[in-house]
Amino acid sequence: MGDETQVSSTKFDPGVNQDELIMQQQRQIEKEISETTALVGDMEGFGTLEDEYAGDDIYCQKVHDLAGKYKSMRRTRPDGNCFFRAFSYAYLEQLLDNREEYDRFHDLATKSKDNLVALGFPQFTVEDFHDTFMEVVDHVGQGPSSFSQLDLHKLFNEQGYSDYVVVYLRLITSGQLQRDSDFYQHFIEGDRSVADFCHQEVEPMYKESDHIHIIALSTALNVGVRVRYMDRGEASEVIAHDFPEGSHPAVHLLYRPGHYDILYP
Amino acid sequence: MSTPARRRLMRDFKRLQEDPPTGVSGAPTDNNIMIWNAVIFGPHDTPFEDGTFKLTIEFTEEYPNKPPTVRFVSKMFHPNVYADGGICLDILQNRWSPTYDVSAILTSIQSLLSDPNPNSPANSMAAQLYKENRREYEKRVKACVEQSFVD
Repeated sequence: MGDETQVSSTKFDPGVNQDELIMQQQRQIEKEISETTALVGDMEGFGTLEDEYAGDDIYCQKVHDLAGKYKSMRRTRPDGNCFFRAFSYAYLEQLLDNREEYDRFHDLATKSKDNLVALGFPQFTVEDFHDTFMEVVDHVGQGPSSFSQLDLHKLFNEQGYSDYVVVYLRLITSGQLQRDSDFYQHFIEGDRSVADFCHQEVEPMYKESDHIHIIALSTALNVGVRVRYMDRGEASEVIAHDFPEGSHPAVHLLYRPGHYDILYP
Repeated sequence: MSTPARRRLMRDFKRLQEDPPTGVSGAPTDNNIMIWNAVIFGPHDTPFEDGTFKLTIEFTEEYPNKPPTVRFVSKMFHPNVYADGGICLDILQNRWSPTYDVSAILTSIQSLLSDPNPNSPANSMAAQLYKENRREYEKRVKACVEQSFVD
């Protein structure tokens, strides 16, 4: 009996707002993930990663290889924003004690808003994200005595700040793609324009990142990223890809299908 | 308490007052900045002309990273509006961008009134009439317009 009522209540009803039902379900899944995984986790060794893949020879070999190349890792929440979150955390963490690079980045970040507005982004909303983004960057510039690694960690686990940083990096990525649209058009499948791609796959939160996002962001900020790929491929090593090609990697990320975490050399 | 969502909504409101787009208006309810009332005036040269359509906009703390829930309170007859007033519009669902603000949302809904998308119907009757019997469609819309004066 119980089954019957369930069936009738889930029957497709064209009068019901299906979009809302789908979004409701999506929210429930997101809630479950957010309750179990921090936006950015603590630094950890490779032991738990090894446990995760116990009995899986291909992956175990790769974890072993990874452990030989890196000291530790830091996990990020798998919410589709992981590349942007991992990248910004890892990079800003380094800026905490690299004044020269900080000054370069601060200058670039300050100017980035006008560049976006010049590209046609709406001034009002870009300003809102830029203000919060610069607030975070300014904190980082205060020096370790007044803003420590722990403070950065706390800030990145505050949804408001953390997500605003992600949004702003998404806008910078979108700006770079549109500025160089002739080049990036070749990477986009189907007959979508670069602008459409940006509206659908770059600017909205929770949309996963691909090579094209990484190339654009690392180019826009002039910050090298090395991604280590851990997948079912035959090789026993975790293959490295540097973005932009030939750059010196400042940020190291671990990629497992659909997800990015931070690596520490 | 000031959260990023609330702070942003204050800015949205300020902008809407200082630089109001034609044919739409909106404001937070008296005691809750997370719930807004809005009005969209039916665009000229459409069957919605002269109508004053009321809506509610409900925001969560995740705004502007997630879209608000927008619903017509006034009775609507439109291919992309559900019977409960819910709106089927891509930018309120999978094509939402955090760069949109309340002003952009309302003007997008306003253009949806002018240009329905009958291929993604939320009201199949309205979609069918819009495609096959424009005269009857306009008659039903006009009834909503008149109803909107009374509400």
